[in-house]
Amino acid sequence: MEVTGTFEKYKEMGDLIASQGQTFVIALVILVVGLIVIKQVYKLLRLLLERFALKQQTISTVNNIVCIILLVLIVATALEHLGMNTLVIRRVIFLVSLAVIGIIAIFRPLIPTLPFKVGNTVKVGDLLGKIEATTLLNTRMRTFDGRTVFIPNSKIVNDFVINYHFTKTRRIKVDVGIRYDQDILKAKQILETIMIEDPRVLLKPARPMVYVLSMADNCIMLGGRCWVNNLKYWTTRCELIEKTKLRFDQEGITIAFPQLDVHHYHGDALPEFHGEKTQRS
Amino acid sequence: MKVSEALKVIDDGWVKKPKGFRVHFQKQENSEWVTEYSPGEQENALDSDVVAWRLAWKLAEASNSNTPDNADGAFVNIYVVDDSGNPIKYYASNQFEVFNRRDI
Repeated sequence: MEVTGTFEKYKEMGDLIASQGQTFVIALVILVVGLIVIKQVYKLLRLLLERFALKQQTISTVNNIVCIILLVLIVATALEHLGMNTLVIRRVIFLVSLAVIGIIAIFRPLIPTLPFKVGNTVKVGDLLGKIEATTLLNTRMRTFDGRTVFIPNSKIVNDFVINYHFTKTRRIKVDVGIRYDQDILKAKQILETIMIEDPRVLLKPARPMVYVLSMADNCIMLGGRCWVNNLKYWTTRCELIEKTKLRFDQEGITIAFPQLDVHHYHGDALPEFHGEKTQRS
Repeated sequence: MKVSEALKVIDDGWVKKPKGFRVHFQKQENSEWVTEYSPGEQENALDSDVVAWRLAWKLAEASNSNTPDNADGAFVNIYVVDDSGNPIKYYASNQFEVFNRRDI
């Protein structure tokens, strides 16, 4: 009896596959072809949107929305082909969408977010580069020497992160040491002029200034400070240093370098130390 | 006088702060000397005189190596000007410099 019951079940399955198999296969083909089409649409849409010079984050968002809509349509088409009621499909999609939106709305404030967006220049630990993409588990960064680094999001959340895009301006330091016998006032004036006459140097949040930072072992340290736009920081900094060196040379201001005085004594005469006479051995 | 007014007087009078830089050069077209700028006058000027002087030097080197004097395409009287068209000093020597100087 049991054998007969099992045999009948298998017979029913066989009949079902024979009658509905073609429908299943077609639905599967619709799904597979649809996924391939979605992948191609993703690539083409990204290329198209990049021509409009949009932000990377906007491109990713638009791309993801279009692909999700296409995926839903393809799944709905496949289910409809299987014989499911269109009304039921629409209700399921609606309910799933509501549930997803509700979960995001409720739990989003609780989810720790990354302190940057795609396209920002950030420094995480020793790594400095531009963020190319973020996923649930890791973040893809491209360093300025062309390396692509995948950083676990857990490391970012638990480490110091410097985001260079948060503020529009950044301060440049031009520190230069001059010899003690040089004209400090002239050196300060030259350095300040160099900073002021550069079109990229801003007057806000603060005007360019030169400070005497310290009287060190080998030099008097001057510190030039000025503000520039974040995007122009690196090139401006390098060019200000270059101009400082050239202009100091032209004006006769000697830049100090570490040096050591060596006194060489000939013969038996040695200097007295603390009043004690010393003898050569 | 308020400090802000004094600073404005200083900014206008003490150090000249150009808004941009262009490379001025002349070249021969159809036996006539034509003055041009790079970037062009319709484009945004460069914001760095170092970059502008470097461009000027490279233009001069390229012109010297590729074309004979006064032939079509040779660049002469190459120097950097500010947004008002006034020549500016070469930052490396603090003197007015002209690459490929020619009397035209």
